Order: sequence, then structure tokens, then C-alpha cells
Amino acid sequence: MSDNLPIVKIENLSVNFPAKGGLPFAKKKYIQAVTDVSLEIHKGETFGIVGESGCGKSTLANAMIGMVRPSLGKVTFKDKDLFSLKRIEFKEVRRDMQMIFQDPFSSLNPRFSVYQIISEPMYIRGGFTKKEMENRVLELLKLVGLDEKDLYRYPSDFSGGQKQRIGIARAISLNPDLLICDEPVSALDVSVHAQILNLLIDLQEKLNLTYVFISHNLAVVKNVCDRILVMYLGKVMESGSTKTIYKNPLHPYTNALLSAILDLDIKREKTILKGDIPSPIDPPKGCRFWQRCPYAMRGCKDIEAPLIEVEPNHFVACHKISGFTEEQIAQELDRVLVHHV
Amino acid sequence: MSNILLKLRNLKVIFPANQGIVRAVEGIDIDIAKGECVALVGESGCGKSVTSLAIMRLLNTPPALIDVKEINLDGEDISKYSETKMQTVRGKQISMIFQDAMTALNPVMTVGKQIDEVYLKHNNISKQEARKQTIEALRLVGIPEPESRAKAFPHQLSGGLRQRVLIAMAFACMPKLIIADEPTTALDVTIQAQVLNVLSQMQRSHNVSLLLITHDLSVVAHTADLVYVMYAGKIVEKARVEDLFKKPHHPYTEGLLGSIPRLSDSKKHFIQIPDSVPHPMFKPSGCYFHPRCKYVTDKCKELMPPLVKIDKDREIRCFYPLNVDKEGKL
Repeated sequence: MSDNLPIVKIENLSVNFPAKGGLPFAKKKYIQAVTDVSLEIHKGETFGIVGESGCGKSTLANAMIGMVRPSLGKVTFKDKDLFSLKRIEFKEVRRDMQMIFQDPFSSLNPRFSVYQIISEPMYIRGGFTKKEMENRVLELLKLVGLDEKDLYRYPSDFSGGQKQRIGIARAISLNPDLLICDEPVSALDVSVHAQILNLLIDLQEKLNLTYVFISHNLAVVKNVCDRILVMYLGKVMESGSTKTIYKNPLHPYTNALLSAILDLDIKREKTILKGDIPSPIDPPKGCRFWQRCPYAMRGCKDIEAPLIEVEPNHFVACHKISGFTEEQIAQELDRVLVHHV
Repeated sequence: MSNILLKLRNLKVIFPANQGIVRAVEGIDIDIAKGECVALVGESGCGKSVTSLAIMRLLNTPPALIDVKEINLDGEDISKYSETKMQTVRGKQISMIFQDAMTALNPVMTVGKQIDEVYLKHNNISKQEARKQTIEALRLVGIPEPESRAKAFPHQLSGGLRQRVLIAMAFACMPKLIIADEPTTALDVTIQAQVLNVLSQMQRSHNVSLLLITHDLSVVAHTADLVYVMYAGKIVEKARVEDLFKKPHHPYTEGLLGSIPRLSDSKKHFIQIPDSVPHPMFKPSGCYFHPRCKYVTDKCKELMPPLVKIDKDREIRCFYPLNVDKEGKL
């Protein structure tokens, strides 16, 4: 399905936010939301970003469409560097990327009718006559499975699933190339999940869209995404094609995530992680996962694991997997310490 | 017979509104055996939370109007209790774990103090003794360093820890029944697994009955023994958990099970139930599920099927149950 044209390219992206509070003259602290992430998204594929809350997946997506300015690194969309563009050029480029939000209850203006909501992007872009806009809105409503007579009703008249459909219609109204779905179903009822996911899959086929799909539900991601990226505390832990990762999850965190999913297959071995996610203000120095890792070794605490390609297109950041022994890490550690002295 | 801890008979709850009457719960019966975990499953708006609040007698009347034949807790009908008498039951005999720990805990009180309150209220003991028991309770639910955590305010704890505090509070006086209303919905996947583990371990080791209210069938699969499936204010299916997952009889249960993505399947499209839950004020005629049911007949559109008992622990509300064997037997 995907040909090899990268539509989005991210190089060494880091996003830090200044932390609130602290003493007036104390050293300013930063929340390291995303640290050193590089990736490429190809045209026509569905790229999944997976992780727990606070791992930086939404920040990464926001940086991808230029809503958050990165502290370091570069985002290229269709060969244009997003953050060196002029304001007008940037607006031009942004048209081709749209977003579907998590909570359809708060992402639609309650005082706008459905027609106003869906036509607003066209209105802002300009150059459409009223007739064209109306025809396009009707076409979009049909595409997302809503009725013609819903045109002048207000968001409060709709159920959660229908609201999300309106949000989707708004996002695709300008024929974007890239659609970012930030937890599109997690605020909806279980029986509606499947409807919305099926709609997204159908739209992708019809409109040749590229998706970035953010979710914490690995069972959903498995059926939707072509490639996935597993994040923890702002860093990439594992990335690769969905098939390889589900068949052969290597990173202990990916394993834990997979086994933590409760699904209907009742009898299954489970590894349950200890503890909570550490604060992103002072993330652990070495591997970010070591405190909760069941296989943590001596060096994991101090030396960061690099992202290594273990098999074609399957990257893992873990000392254990990349084949370092405890002694080698200890040696490396000594070297680093000597260097510092 | 005395094995039944809670016997709820014919509970009806309605909310009169300006535009009409919201029939939240329409005559449901629930039995909970001692030491068993019973799950009440349904989508939002099906009346599951209202049911739990009605059992706790926490619904405000008005606006709610409650009609119940019997809420029998271990031989005593608590539906006729006065409010003062009810207060000795809550926390001591039935307690509740709420969905959102941040709003369920008092933000300006340390968590230790909040748990102390439970002990001080129900067991006639000194403050020091209460604190000692609080720390023990916090240790039981797996909170590290319970002595210092007891002095923390809710906002200083993470989501998982807060939920554990609520669990500790619910188990404080070792009640006979604990009602957990969506205890893990607000949590992350890995934390969810931890909390559920703690909850079911506590339940099994102390032989307490648990009424688990959830919309997530995968949570049910891992913790419950008996499942009630609820749709638009009525019970549509009751079954033991293994039977329900192996052989769902009601089309709604089948749809719910099918629409959950599983790790083990590889198909690209998801099975879906069309449409959405009916508005509680405008429920359809006949079987409430018929507009969404793919096996619908004319009979379904006119008549509400009765809840038929087909086996021990197995009841179904459907004219044409699924998964029947060759002789037409269920």
C-alpha cells in the first residue's frame, strides 16, 4: 500500500516545556516531553504511535503539524522544513495536514451548526462560493455516514459517535494528505469504536490518506497500523512494522504493554510492571525505563541504550536486546566516568 | 440458600424531566453470592451506575423516583432503613470504589486522615489505633512506604496510587459487599493491570463479594465470575463468565464481544453494531435492541421479550437466542 515517498520526516526532534513553579532564582526546570526522535512516514501508510499517558505521543504529533515549536530538530513535510517557513507559506502547507481530536464533546463548537462546523475550513481558506460549500458539505456528510437533514442541527443533538463523525468530516473537508488521529475512539462507547475505526479505514482507501494514529490500545493499533513506534517518557523504545513487533516484541516495555492489555483470551501469561511512570521533569539518566524494567542490569541506570536496528526495519533501544553483557556495560561505564573526571 | 449475600428484586428508577420521563432502570433483579465477583456490563446510559447508587441508597430523591421490592443484604432488607441507620451500613457492610479517584477523595485532607475517618466512624477506637490500621490497610493494597504516603494529599499521588487508596478505604472495615464503579477506566493500561490485580487479590483473600460495574468486557473476562449484561435499563443476559464468552445467546452480547479488538485476530475490518444506544427518554417499542439487531423480526418490533431462565445462572431476554444446538436446545 505504501510507496516509498516520505511525506513527513522528523530528524532528532526534542520538545521541552518550561516547568511551572520553582523558586524565583532557581535553575529553570524543563519537562522533557519528547527527546531525540527521528522517523519517516510514507505516503499512504498508517503510522501508529503507542505509549502510556505522559509519554509524549501527543506532543510529537503536535510538533509534526507545527502546533508546537520543537527545542531541537527538524520537521519536514513534503520536502519543506515546517519551522523555517514564513507564516503565509506555513498556512498553505498546514492545509494538507489535519487532525481528529480525542474528545468530540469538546472539539466541536456548541454554537455552530453542523454546516458551519464542516464548512469552516473552506470558509477560512476562501475561494468557494456558497453553493460549492453546501454541495461539498453534503458530500462529506454522506461520506462519513450522516444524514442530509442533519445539516442545520447542533452538536448537542448528536451522540458521541456521530459527533466524532462530524469531526472527521471537518478534518477531511480540504482534502488533506496527512490526517492525525489523536486517540479517536477512546472517549466513545465500546459498541461505537468499531464503527469509527471502520469508517477511518474506508476513508483511507477512498481518499488515499496517510494516517498518524495515536493510541494506547495495542489491540486497536494492531489491526489499523502498518508501522508503529513505541514511546516511553519521550523516547523511542521500539519501532518497526506492526507485523514484526507483534510477532517478536523485543523491548521489555513493549512486552509489558502487550501483556497488560486485557483482552478476551482469558488464560494468558502476564507480566505486570511495578511502579508508575517517573516524572518527565527529571527523567532517569540512563535508560528511561530501568526503574520499572524486570531485566534491568547494572549499567542500565547510567548509560542510555541507543536505538539499534536488530533486524531490517526493526529498531530497539535496550542493552539486553542489543547484546551488551553486563561486563561490557560496566566497562563502558568506567570509561565514561574516567572521561568525566 | 444463605449463600446469597445481596438479593435485589425489581429495582426501578425513573427521573422525571421537563420533556418526559427518563426510565433509567426498569425492574432488574441481581443476586450476588458470598465471596463472588459479579459484573454488571453495559454502555454509558444503560443505567448501571444508577443501579449501584440505588443499592447504596445514595440517589437523591427527588429528582429520582425509586421503586424496589427488596434490597436484601445478608438477610436484612435495607430498602426500608432510615437514613441514620443506613449510615451505619455504608462503609461497614457495603462500600464503594468510585471511578475517578481525584474527585472521590477530598483534596484538602491527607489520604491517611480520610481512611482514619472510616475506622473512627465504625469501630470505637482511638485516633492512634485508627492510624495504625490505616497504615496496615495501605500496605495491604501494595502502596510503598505507607507511613509517609498516609501523610500525602491526593494531588501528590499518581493516578494508580490514588485508586489504591480508594481500594484501601473500601476494604477498611472489611465490608460484606464492595461496589466498584468503573474502577480502572481513568487509568493507563499498565496501571490498570496492577490495580485490577490488587482488587481481585484483595477480594479473594478476604472473601468479600464484589459488584464490578464496567463497560469493558475485557476487564470482566479477567476478574468476574458471573456477568449481567444490561441494555437500556434492562438485563438482557445473565451468565457465568466462561459461558458468556464461549456462547453468547443475546445478539447484543455477541455484538459487544465482536466489536472488541483482540490481539489474536488479524482481520482488517472490525465487526460493528450499527447505530447507537437509544436515548433513555425515547426508547423504541418492543425489544429495546431491535433497531440495532441484525436478526430482527416483526415480533421483536412489537413485544418486549421476557427474561427467561434457561439454566442455573443463565438467563436471557430474546425471542431468538443465538448459538442454539441442533435440537433447538440452548
